[in-house]
Amino acid sequence: MSEGRLLAAAGFWVVLWLPPVRSALESDMAVHMAVQLPLLIAIGVLAAPPLRRFEPRLLADADWLGIPGLVLAAFATSLWMLPRMLDQALADPLAELGKFLSLPLLGGLPLGLSWRRMPGLGRAFVWANFIPKLGAVGGLYLAAPTRLCAYYGVDQQAEAGWTLITVAAALGLVSFVAVFAGRPRAMFAPHDGPA
Amino acid sequence: MTTEAIGTRSTPIGARTAVLAYLAVSGVVLLLMMLFGATMRLAQAQWISLDPTWFYIILTMHGAGMVGIAGLSGAAVMWYFVGRYVPVSTAVFLANLGFFLVGAVLILGSGFIGGFAAAWTFLFPLPAHSGSLWSINAAACYLFGLISIGVGFLLLHLDIVRGILSVYGGLGAGLGFKQGFGLAPEDTGPPPAVAASTMVAIVNIVGIVFGAAILVMSLVNLYVPSFTFNALVAKNMIYLFGHIFINATIYMAVIAVYEILPRYTHRAWKTNWAFYLAWVMSTLMVLTVYPHHLLMDFAMPTWALVAGQIISWLSGLPVLLVTAFGALTNTYRSGLKWDAASGLVFLGVAGWAIGVIPAILDGTIAINSVMHNTQWVPGHFHTYLLLGMIAMMLGFMTWLGGAKSPLGLAPVGFWLYLVGGSIFVLAFLSAGSASVPRRYAVHLQAWLPYDEIGSIGACLAIAGVAILVVRFLAGLRSAAAGGDDSVR
Repeated sequence: MSEGRLLAAAGFWVVLWLPPVRSALESDMAVHMAVQLPLLIAIGVLAAPPLRRFEPRLLADADWLGIPGLVLAAFATSLWMLPRMLDQALADPLAELGKFLSLPLLGGLPLGLSWRRMPGLGRAFVWANFIPKLGAVGGLYLAAPTRLCAYYGVDQQAEAGWTLITVAAALGLVSFVAVFAGRPRAMFAPHDGPA
Repeated sequence: MTTEAIGTRSTPIGARTAVLAYLAVSGVVLLLMMLFGATMRLAQAQWISLDPTWFYIILTMHGAGMVGIAGLSGAAVMWYFVGRYVPVSTAVFLANLGFFLVGAVLILGSGFIGGFAAAWTFLFPLPAHSGSLWSINAAACYLFGLISIGVGFLLLHLDIVRGILSVYGGLGAGLGFKQGFGLAPEDTGPPPAVAASTMVAIVNIVGIVFGAAILVMSLVNLYVPSFTFNALVAKNMIYLFGHIFINATIYMAVIAVYEILPRYTHRAWKTNWAFYLAWVMSTLMVLTVYPHHLLMDFAMPTWALVAGQIISWLSGLPVLLVTAFGALTNTYRSGLKWDAASGLVFLGVAGWAIGVIPAILDGTIAINSVMHNTQWVPGHFHTYLLLGMIAMMLGFMTWLGGAKSPLGLAPVGFWLYLVGGSIFVLAFLSAGSASVPRRYAVHLQAWLPYDEIGSIGACLAIAGVAILVVRFLAGLRSAAAGGDDSVR
């Protein structure tokens, strides 16, 4: 099972790295931001459970309530939300490789490892903050007075803004329905860390 | 259904002390903000001299401070009682107080040191366009102050949601959704405190989420002015957040009515399908009614304004009706012995009910187009906040700590507050009906009588609240030691 997950994550990574897939996912700014980047993060999350047993004790102990891991994931993912970094990834193969490595390893993997250590309240707080900030980033893309990316036009920039706002709204709605109906496991399930 | 509202679980000392700390902070800040308000009325009456620049700083601080303190004291009422039915964290409750105090310091600093005076609503793009009256940093300080307060409340509501989920499984069950629609027996519904807390958590989390987004965007605009966004969208987001937050304070404070009155009447608060349906309806309407703040914005879609008007007529009514009716039936021929605490809690329902009437009028497009910029508006919201929400909070404060106070005078405080508060709000409403504008630092001679009467009312109300708060503070030590929640 563990090996299966690792193989799936690796296979998934290779598929995303294939030039036709890459160019398809990067040809549009909204798809780049709302599909490719989350998929790369998801690869790290998928690989987290089998890799947990290899996590150095020192790192596990230092990851108090999952906060350091979540902060690392937040920085790694935020970096690739910047227009300059999107451009860089398209212009420079090394930067592209950096994106393909950093998002699973510094974004998804710490997220997958630390999420279970975080108490339910912390998870809910992160989630409740993530949704409006995603919407706010979308709003900022819409409000940007100039073209932000050399590789994407203003129309694609606006489309990306609306996509992020739509994703934020959808996540908010789904989360609310889940909590209202009584299936909030993702947020309030028992955690591994100290209470 | 008859809920077991009468003391199901005693509150641990730590939690009780935390609630008392909330109330002590609330009482002191409330008095300070009332003094700010009275200063503005005295200046308008030309009984004191106040530089208009300072008037608008005080107006901003008074607005933000009162909204904040209504939220904080409402949270104290809600948390104290909901903690009897679901597990909640005292640490998170205290963290909220910490975030609030940090936010309050930032906001007061932005005004009294930085000169920020863009009103508590910080409408885009005003914070960035001060006309050199305040700096960008002062505006940022104000916005960070609001963010800090929002972070604290978000944590608090999420913790309460966690507690509700752990007992009821879902927010729908916590709200009594099935009972409201007849899909489950009434006697399986949650206690009123849980239904109210669920509703408040739902609406306030949504409001805070929108508030956080617009605050972040406003901060970016402050430091990168070329980043502008649609001002009407910004106003919609701000009023969605602002309306929900201030409205939720009443729904938090009303829990005091559900929990304290039954202790006096020795009758449990009765809930039925109508009670739960009312809370479900109010949840939806509080989330959607905010366009009534934008009735003068001609660029708003007509359907949104019409919806705002219709929902305004209905929004407060469901919960108000079941609460007012419940309060009357709970007290009628119950033989309860009135004191300041029960009187204040009961007055809170009356103040809320009375304040809703001028609010509904103001939510009517034809009337709003004439009255919106008059003192009718502060008149209506002061009625249901000063004589409604704050009355419930003062009732809770007097009930929890006042009886332990070495000072008497509670009835004196009650009557000064009631008479003074009534004069104060009637002066606002009368001035509004005579088209006296709101938010003017300097008034014409013809408007002064309203200002003078309002000033007298404000001073009387402050004297009454001061007595009640000082009594509470004087009895804090023994109140912290005591755990007796029975009728005193």
